[in-house]
Amino acid sequence: LSEGHSGEQHISVALADDAVLLREALAASLAAAGFEVVGQAGDVAGLLAIVDRSSPNVAVLDVRMPPTFTTEGLEAAQTLRKKHPRMGILVLSQYVETRYALDLLRDDPSGIGYLLKDRVTRVSELADAVRRVAAGGSVIDPEVVARLLGRPREHSPLDELTPREKEILGLMAEGRSNQSIADALTLELKTVEGHVRQIFSKLGLEPTAHDHRRVLAVIAYLRST
Amino acid sequence: MHAMNQRQRLILLAVAGALPVLLGRIVLATTPVQLHEAITPTSQLVNLALGAIWIAVMLFSYGRAPGEPFWKLVLVRLWADQIWLLFYIPTSLTWTASNFDELADVLTAHIIVSFPSGRLRDRFDRAVVWFIYGYVLLVNVVGMLVFRPDWMGNPECTDYCPDNLLLVAPNDTLVAVIDQASSLGVPFLGLLLLAAVVRRWRLSTPIARRVMLPILVATPLFIVLRSAWYLARAFEVSFVTNTLADWSFAAIEFIIPVGLLLAVLRARLARGAVADLAIELAHGVPIGELRNVLARAIGDPTLRLAFPAPDGDGYVDELGRPIQVPLSDTDSARITRIENEGELLAVMVHDPAIDRDNPGLVDAVGSMARLALANERLSAQVRAQLEEVRASRARIVEAADVERQRIERDLHDGAQQRLVALAMRLELARTSVTGAQALIDETTAELTAAIGEVRGLARGVHPTILTEMGLAPALEALAERSAVPVTIDAPDKRFPPPVEATAYFLAAEALTNVARYAEARRARIVIEERDGALVVRVEDDGRGGADPTRGTGLRGLVDRVQALGGVLTVDSPDGAGTVLTATLPLT
Repeated sequence: LSEGHSGEQHISVALADDAVLLREALAASLAAAGFEVVGQAGDVAGLLAIVDRSSPNVAVLDVRMPPTFTTEGLEAAQTLRKKHPRMGILVLSQYVETRYALDLLRDDPSGIGYLLKDRVTRVSELADAVRRVAAGGSVIDPEVVARLLGRPREHSPLDELTPREKEILGLMAEGRSNQSIADALTLELKTVEGHVRQIFSKLGLEPTAHDHRRVLAVIAYLRST
Repeated sequence: MHAMNQRQRLILLAVAGALPVLLGRIVLATTPVQLHEAITPTSQLVNLALGAIWIAVMLFSYGRAPGEPFWKLVLVRLWADQIWLLFYIPTSLTWTASNFDELADVLTAHIIVSFPSGRLRDRFDRAVVWFIYGYVLLVNVVGMLVFRPDWMGNPECTDYCPDNLLLVAPNDTLVAVIDQASSLGVPFLGLLLLAAVVRRWRLSTPIARRVMLPILVATPLFIVLRSAWYLARAFEVSFVTNTLADWSFAAIEFIIPVGLLLAVLRARLARGAVADLAIELAHGVPIGELRNVLARAIGDPTLRLAFPAPDGDGYVDELGRPIQVPLSDTDSARITRIENEGELLAVMVHDPAIDRDNPGLVDAVGSMARLALANERLSAQVRAQLEEVRASRARIVEAADVERQRIERDLHDGAQQRLVALAMRLELARTSVTGAQALIDETTAELTAAIGEVRGLARGVHPTILTEMGLAPALEALAERSAVPVTIDAPDKRFPPPVEATAYFLAAEALTNVARYAEARRARIVIEERDGALVVRVEDDGRGGADPTRGTGLRGLVDRVQALGGVLTVDSPDGAGTVLTATLPLT
């Protein structure tokens, strides 16, 4: 990996979306954010060809593509994962469906993200997600997490959590690392780690060192209660 | 008689009835004995006419009910009627037998009391008839045992001197007493017969009364006139000439057979009504008129027609009003069930006299009614279904229109307004130098909101997760969006798309209602595959009292469910939650 213009790693991106205008805008945004867009495709086959040829760090793809315009992006992600296990994959979706996010991450959550398409209008958030999957992290859109957290429950250990702990739980569900959470909340890393232990204890979850395993545990927990 | 058809049997019976009458005429025509002065050509004609009427009574009653003994009694009476003519056959045996000619009158009494079946119905009737038989027989037999006619043993008697074969001990005093008893007995027996007839009338139902009306009139009329005739003659009333006496006597003779004939015809008319009924039904009878038509055919104005209530409990009339139907036959009402292939279509509640007077009539009318009812029901079902389809289609169109309006309004008021605002802000940002950053930030926020709105809109129109992943994941997603906690119990399995969509929108609408009205703390959605159908159950623990007929949401769901040939039920007792159950056929 080479160094980027802002002192960061150089990240190459392949892009797939059937809506040409949006794809071009996306490419422009990614380029502006310092990524190298190595190729654009209008469908899954085109994307696979680019990936085979250019071996980008990250593939960014729309969930809706030809031929059925439903959830082709999810299946394509599985295919890409098998052929290029080290490549980051970011699926852009119109659907606020926790099930889709969970299915996408279930087998191997490292380097995979499920981001709502709205997010692309905030270039910083898009860029953050691309960097996280490129680094092998997980990304789950905050709105999907909000849906999980906001689901009505009768009696739940979640009621025991303090507002701050809930906030940190949400960030964990987004796939963030402790450092990332500390940065986002401007807290000490130690403080965050303390909160995380507390949360796991209150929810009765096994503490796990791996962030990407942690995201699965948290999401599974939130979905099942 | 089995090999014969009805017509041949009637002809044979007519011959059997006419034979004694003809034999009687032959006897009179060939007798060497000098005829009584009352036997004139006119009286012969009168006798023939009377015979013809009795034969008619016999034939009509046979035609009406061949299995009953009434016509046999009439046939016996036709023969007994000629007993007196044995007097004109010059032998001692026939002479002796001819003295029992009153048997015909006793049989007449028997026939009257046993009308219309020929059977005596109760102890009173039996007592009356057997008393009359006994009295007349006793008087006759005892009289014959002691009666010695003048000519017996009289050497001057030369041309016609038959012996009384029953003579045991001649006793003129006893003969005089018996004669007296016989004369006194006639009005007494007449009154007894009248009492039996009046009593029978009083015990009869309206129909039976209608049928026996001619007998009720004829019997006292006959008794009074006949008594008057005898009295007039006994007192030798001056105006009673011989001719008048003969004619009036003959006329009085007609009263009873004519009365019986009219009564038999009345009973028989009801039978002919079945044919009329068939014609009437063939022209089509509205269900509301059916009772009147059947009542006419059976001849029972009190007839009631009851249909099993649609909810399976009790009976209703043709207008759907609940009516009471006795569970079994009673003294005043008999129940005839009209069934089609084991399914009860209706019951007729009618006068028991109809079965008695016209065996088989009710069954015949009932089977006619069965056809009419089966047809009527079939066409009513088709009509109702067509009507339901028409109404359902109208509602679907209406619901689609309403839905389009809602989407149009949401797009217009929501997304479009925001996009217009965005365009304006961008325009402002382009021309503004200072504060462009803030404007663009606001614009981006607006834009995000607009995108979110369009997304929600699209999801509401049709959730992709349902078509992509099936019912269970779609319901899970629905539960996440619900305002009350929802547990889902559904198999992770795919079903036909229309079934999945209906089940999903049913659950969605139900959860909306739960959130809006039910004041529930939790809800539960259970999906089960049972007997080739998908059963969708949505339960909540709210306040209940949901009315499925109110609110277009539920109404639309009923249409959806019915379009698939399914059934939707709502169980929502006050204060005990609501259970909405849809059964959707999978084939």
